[in-house]
Amino acid sequence: MKVKKWKLASFLIPCLLLFGLIYFIPMCMVFGSSFFEWKAGGIFRFVGLENYIQAFTSDSRMLHALRNTVIWVVLQSVVHVALGTVIAFMLARRRRGWKILRTVYMIPNVISSAALGVIFLNVFNAKYGLVNSIISALTGEDFSKNWFFDQNSAFITVTLTWLLYTGMIIILVLAGVLSISEDVVEAARIDGANEMQVNMRIRLPLLRTVLGTSVILAATSMLKEFELIYLTTNGGPGDTTINLPLYLYKTSMTDNNYGYANMMGVVLIVAGIVVVYAINRLFRMDEADY
Amino acid sequence: MKKRIAELMAAVMAVGILGCVPVYAEDGVTEISFPTMWVGVNTNTDWFNERLEAFNEEYGDTIQVNVEEIAGDQNYVDKLKVLYSSNSLPDTFNAGGYNLIDSMQDQLVDLTDYVDDEWKSLASDISWEVNSRDGKIYGIPYTRQVIGYFYNKDLFAEAGIEEPATTWEEFFEQCDMLLEAGITPLSMDTADSGWVTSLMLCAIVGQTDEGEEFMNTNLPTDYNTEEFIAAAEMIQTMFQKYTTSDAVGGAYENAASNFYMEETAIIANGPWMVSDFYDDTLVEEGFADKIGTAMFPGSVMYNSGKIGWNIASTDEETLEATLTFVKFMTNEESQLRMLEVTGDIPASEDITSDDVYPLVNEVIENGNNAEHCINDFQSLWYANVVDEISVQYPLLAQGEITAEEFAQALTDAAAKN
Amino acid sequence: MKKKIRGGLWRIFRFLFLGFMALISVGPLVWIFLSSFKTNREILSSAFSLPSSWGLDGYEAALQLAPIFKYYGNSVIIAVGSTALNVLIVSMAAYVLARYKFKGSTFITLLLSVSLLIPTAALLMPIYKIMIAIGLFDTRLGLILVYAALGLPTSLFVFKSYFQGIPRELEDAAYIDGAGFYRTFFVIVFPLARSGLATGAILQFLTSWNEFMFGLVLTQSAEVRTLPLALNYFTSQFSFNYTAMFAALTMVIIPSIVVYVLLQEQVTTSMVAGSVKG
Repeated sequence: MKVKKWKLASFLIPCLLLFGLIYFIPMCMVFGSSFFEWKAGGIFRFVGLENYIQAFTSDSRMLHALRNTVIWVVLQSVVHVALGTVIAFMLARRRRGWKILRTVYMIPNVISSAALGVIFLNVFNAKYGLVNSIISALTGEDFSKNWFFDQNSAFITVTLTWLLYTGMIIILVLAGVLSISEDVVEAARIDGANEMQVNMRIRLPLLRTVLGTSVILAATSMLKEFELIYLTTNGGPGDTTINLPLYLYKTSMTDNNYGYANMMGVVLIVAGIVVVYAINRLFRMDEADY
Repeated sequence: MKKRIAELMAAVMAVGILGCVPVYAEDGVTEISFPTMWVGVNTNTDWFNERLEAFNEEYGDTIQVNVEEIAGDQNYVDKLKVLYSSNSLPDTFNAGGYNLIDSMQDQLVDLTDYVDDEWKSLASDISWEVNSRDGKIYGIPYTRQVIGYFYNKDLFAEAGIEEPATTWEEFFEQCDMLLEAGITPLSMDTADSGWVTSLMLCAIVGQTDEGEEFMNTNLPTDYNTEEFIAAAEMIQTMFQKYTTSDAVGGAYENAASNFYMEETAIIANGPWMVSDFYDDTLVEEGFADKIGTAMFPGSVMYNSGKIGWNIASTDEETLEATLTFVKFMTNEESQLRMLEVTGDIPASEDITSDDVYPLVNEVIENGNNAEHCINDFQSLWYANVVDEISVQYPLLAQGEITAEEFAQALTDAAAKN
Repeated sequence: MKKKIRGGLWRIFRFLFLGFMALISVGPLVWIFLSSFKTNREILSSAFSLPSSWGLDGYEAALQLAPIFKYYGNSVIIAVGSTALNVLIVSMAAYVLARYKFKGSTFITLLLSVSLLIPTAALLMPIYKIMIAIGLFDTRLGLILVYAALGLPTSLFVFKSYFQGIPRELEDAAYIDGAGFYRTFFVIVFPLARSGLATGAILQFLTSWNEFMFGLVLTQSAEVRTLPLALNYFTSQFSFNYTAMFAALTMVIIPSIVVYVLLQEQVTTSMVAGSVKG
């Protein structure tokens, strides 16, 4: 079916206009100013690649931030998405209570980060925290680990504040699973496939683009996450839990070093494009199913 | 579907546009803008509302103050930074003691010529000094910073302590006595700026003449000094032996709560805390009677000026109106009401009141008697150094870094500016 | 027999697994709710105990300390407005990008997805200036536009993947019946993709409902401000009223859950109404 070009354009233009207004101009500014020394007090000086060179050769915090960001992106893309997909498949069986569970799993996404931060600080509190109380009760010994602020446990504790909360993945995958026709599944069942085989061989391949979307959203959310870290460990102890977005925020808001912050912005955008492109290819997301 | 969406959109747009009807001032009225953080639970909320009303009564015919409410200290500073970077600071702002002079100086009005002797007499010399750079005034002071520590007399008696310590050696002996009596000696924290802990740290630094000078230096860049490292070592000991298990990672609220619950015997903080001693949602009845005030060992008190009202008006007419407003908010009556309503100490040493909690006057008295007067780190140090403290304290507490490395980390942070 | 035991164990495992996940998901909400009845002292000293009384003091204090009701209305208008705007224009673009291959279509997709990655801190100042320049600073419309844009990439991906899952035959049939491009999209495709659209709408609504930083920077009068800003009225550096804060939080969270349930119903209904695949 051939459609006139201007009709297609009329569908794209509103979106592109919105993009241009809100993102394009800022993006150019981020890119341009990353080559400047730009600080509070009116300092604005072209320095070429100096910000980039400094970041990758002599800034140890930057390297920590990069490393943590990469680990979190990988964990979120794999563990988080897998967990959400498994739960979505379990709910898709539509056993009693599935609708309630579907709502319950989404609750953490509904609560603002500020509140979640306070809650997690209490859950993992060294003195009266829930986790320590449970461990003490189970082992019968007094247990007082300072989860967020012990150098050895800080990273994993921060990770736990989002890794298991897969509400968004669940609703994406679940809506996908539910829109798969029963006929296809029935046909497979008649051929003697069990539930596991139906899931692995029929449903999962049909969800290719939905899964790709889930992985992209999960991965990129880790390229933006900073509120929960900021509100719990503030990147500490030392550099243990710092990531790129938090370092960027601090560089811009407390160091007043806008040029250097925008350099990190460019690094994030480039990293993001690579991630999105790779996932696009991996899940062959540009190809339609039909 | 299409129609419904179109209708919805139209409705939304209409409401949205109604939200932006501009407010035109009447003739002869000058509008000035002031964002306030004094809203909600902030200790200054009642004071500000009262004074704003009084101002409007007196000047409402000629000056209209457009007040923007920004809840939360950090949000206030963040928003001002955005406004600064796009060259559109409000006519006047007050960040509650947070130092924005050094990072925004180029857009602030040099007030030296507008402050006459009469106005000058309304604040102590040190208050004006803290608000000046290179002899030019960039802020109008309204309160002073006077801070010592509070202790629980009952718990001290239980441990057999008669008087607050006069040296840090004695202070640690008292901590041991408290421990022996089964009492956790100190309230401490590390989150945000580690306020309570850092007050202790800087008080230790300030006990020598060199240290006192360091604690009155704006934007210090070198923390690798003997006094500072020695002080950091003592803080390390405090974390490891003398405080609660939730101190590391805890915020001011946690430190305060432990003191309110009488689980700790000592907390460093300013007189604005006193009204909480009477708040029955926080403490048991009669709590305030158990509390004593003390100078830090070595006769050290925080007793200094505080950053006040900054002005960034760009034309003569609004500047004049803004000056009138700021003058009103910092006049004798305003300062007196500040003392009475919030317990914050007036910038002028001559303004006193008997209509305040006795503990507040005790703190002022301590301030006047101290041999070493220092300023607080939040006003003096670079914002990123203050931020760095909060991520380095846990390492220091855990023994992952030494006091020397702690000092070096702060020095490195300062070097980034 | 063996199979039966394995099936039983599997069922127990599944039950425990789903139960544990439900517990850690609902825990925070329960905690917030219970805390809204506790005194500040109780919250700070025994975070996980039950409140000693069930008075509504916290709610009263919350309403008194912060302009919650005023902000509530704004939040509803802005969240609904930005969701409607976002779903409409992003779905149109996503449809074209999912269905039609043309020169530059991949580039446009990548370009639009870049917006997923621009750090908020870098956006603040430029967007502030743009909003002033086009006269939308301190207006609801300004926030609606910005929020619709914030959710643009997420919605784009979600919508695109759903459009790709709709068989072409239905559209072809519509064309043969004489329906034009626009009609086909709004009458045939739009309803078919309802579960995907509802999913995107949920995510968009939550983004708008909880956004804080732009709400703070792009507004200055109480007439247009949104709820997340109200939550900061309860803590400042040296004073706090946690009871009121948790009461306010409860009032903020409930509507999101209601909206979520309502929109999810759409997903289910569209599924029951007849599957589209196959």
